Amino acid sequence: MSDKLVLALPSKGRLMERCAGMLVAAGLDVVKSGAARGYKGTIAGLPDVEVNFVSAAEIAQHIKSGTAHLGITGEDLLRETIADCDERVSFLRPCGFGHADVVVAVPAAWIDVQHMADLEEMALAYRRVHGRRVRVATKYMNLTRSYFARNGVTGYRIVESLGATEGAPAAGLAELVVDITTTGATLKANGLRVLEDGVILRSQANLVSSKVAPWTDGLRALERLLVAKLSQ
Amino acid sequence: MPAEAAQQVEALEAQAQRLMAVFTRAGYEQVAPAVIQPAGLFLDVVGESLRARTYVFTDPDGEELCLRPDLTVPTCRLHLARHPSGNVPARYCYNGSAFRYQPGGATSAHPNEFRQAGIESFAAADREADDAAVLALIVAALRETGIGRFQLRLGDLSLFGALLRALPMPARWRTRLRHHFWRPEAFRAELLRLTSQQALAPRGVPRELIDRLDPTKPADALALVEEHLERAGLELIGTRTLSEIADRLLAQAADVRERPLAAETAALLEAYAAIRAPAREAAQRVAALLRPHKLDIGEALAAFERRLTLLDGAGVDTTEAAFGAGFGRNLEYYTGFVFEIVMPQLGPRSPVAGGGRYDGLLADVGAPAPVPAVGSCIHTERLLAVLGGGEP
Repeated sequence: MSDKLVLALPSKGRLMERCAGMLVAAGLDVVKSGAARGYKGTIAGLPDVEVNFVSAAEIAQHIKSGTAHLGITGEDLLRETIADCDERVSFLRPCGFGHADVVVAVPAAWIDVQHMADLEEMALAYRRVHGRRVRVATKYMNLTRSYFARNGVTGYRIVESLGATEGAPAAGLAELVVDITTTGATLKANGLRVLEDGVILRSQANLVSSKVAPWTDGLRALERLLVAKLSQ
Repeated sequence: MPAEAAQQVEALEAQAQRLMAVFTRAGYEQVAPAVIQPAGLFLDVVGESLRARTYVFTDPDGEELCLRPDLTVPTCRLHLARHPSGNVPARYCYNGSAFRYQPGGATSAHPNEFRQAGIESFAAADREADDAAVLALIVAALRETGIGRFQLRLGDLSLFGALLRALPMPARWRTRLRHHFWRPEAFRAELLRLTSQQALAPRGVPRELIDRLDPTKPADALALVEEHLERAGLELIGTRTLSEIADRLLAQAADVRERPLAAETAALLEAYAAIRAPAREAAQRVAALLRPHKLDIGEALAAFERRLTLLDGAGVDTTEAAFGAGFGRNLEYYTGFVFEIVMPQLGPRSPVAGGGRYDGLLADVGAPAPVPAVGSCIHTERLLAVLGGGEP
């Protein structure tokens, strides 16, 4: 590993565009090295910073393992990927974009299920009738498990879903979902409703620092400089 | 393989042979259930809390599989493959690896791969006798390897079931309280809810619908709920049916009209859950707690005492055994007698053996009706550590 400060930034999509805007506003001029679609870059005037462009999910992995010192990615991905998130990650600054709530949503017609507490009782009855546990479709397995456990919900099982989670209940693949939503419109269009106490996390993009990365005094000074610029 | 590890494997193997000899001499058939299990069925049975600790993977055909986190469910599946009704008396023993992810990192007392040597007895008619026989055989096996003194911790979920049945309350409240019994916080929260008229009212559920539902006329509920959904423009999607929704709304409507649980009943249930006593005094303690309330669960207490007597007769000294009303394993599937064998050098969080009665498990795995079942297993790495005098 180099002795440079590794900054991991999103490589595609809206998140990449918003991050680029944030860096420009902070007066940080990121130059991609190599081809235009390259995945490495530098910051003009800061030769000890190495920029890595990777997917938002990979950024969480790099922060977790310490192969990146700093990164910008969604809090939802960080908390899902890193079980002991607060031990490994310092949240330095919310970015004000990339907003998404991770929510528990059930079919809107389940008028008897309004709160998390209703889920456990409903799940108990469901298992009696159907001979199997009620299924929760999600890509957030860890967030789901810890939130359900905190709320005393145990009688379910997770069905991993990697896309179009909101369609799982209608397709008969799951009974309810844990999914991200910004306006709730997609959930509603799929006949789903967020439980009253069903917001697991109000997520947005965050500038974060890895507590397990190989830090030196010099790199810490560099971190302070970058954070100061990005916090203006 | 490092020499140390090879020695450990040899020692475990020799120890396992001694354990299995005790089991097979007692008439238990040695079986070797599959290491790789279908994830779907397995996880449906054991639940999400154990799933978080189960190694799940997908094979090249896209089949979801898992490494068995214990050998009880695989042995149940093996039994059902032979006898689809499950209700044929059979006694099995096994020695094999089980796999559990350890969230804080694996340690020698809590490894992610470990060997269980255990026994399971299915469809025996006399429950207390079978409970006692299983525990006595585990103790005999431990003695065979050289274990002398140990601590025995006992519990009995059927006492709690009997207490619930003796208390006047709707059956659905009993189901809920029994369900939450293992989780003290959830149990307390449920008691609090049942004792408050206000908390019994369903939150957020359309009140006018609740008021129109008559718990004494369940047949009318379906049409009322359907009409409500139609007017609200709510289309029903998924596998949960209108009648399931109507049933739960009826239960909620009944709760609203129900007299809350008496505060003294809630206090009694809390006091019961807190009982800890020498096993020999447990029945008296429970009876003394219930007497002022004119409650009698004599039959269940007699069964508990009879089991102790049978244990003593089978050579298991219960004079120092500890009873805990709330004592239990964290696996939801236990339904009656539960026990753990604890060694002082390992501490209560790392029992060297444990087990109990799980009369619902075979039905969960696929038997058409519940089948009596009791089993236990020895954590063989811990046993070896105790016998070797080393750190587990």
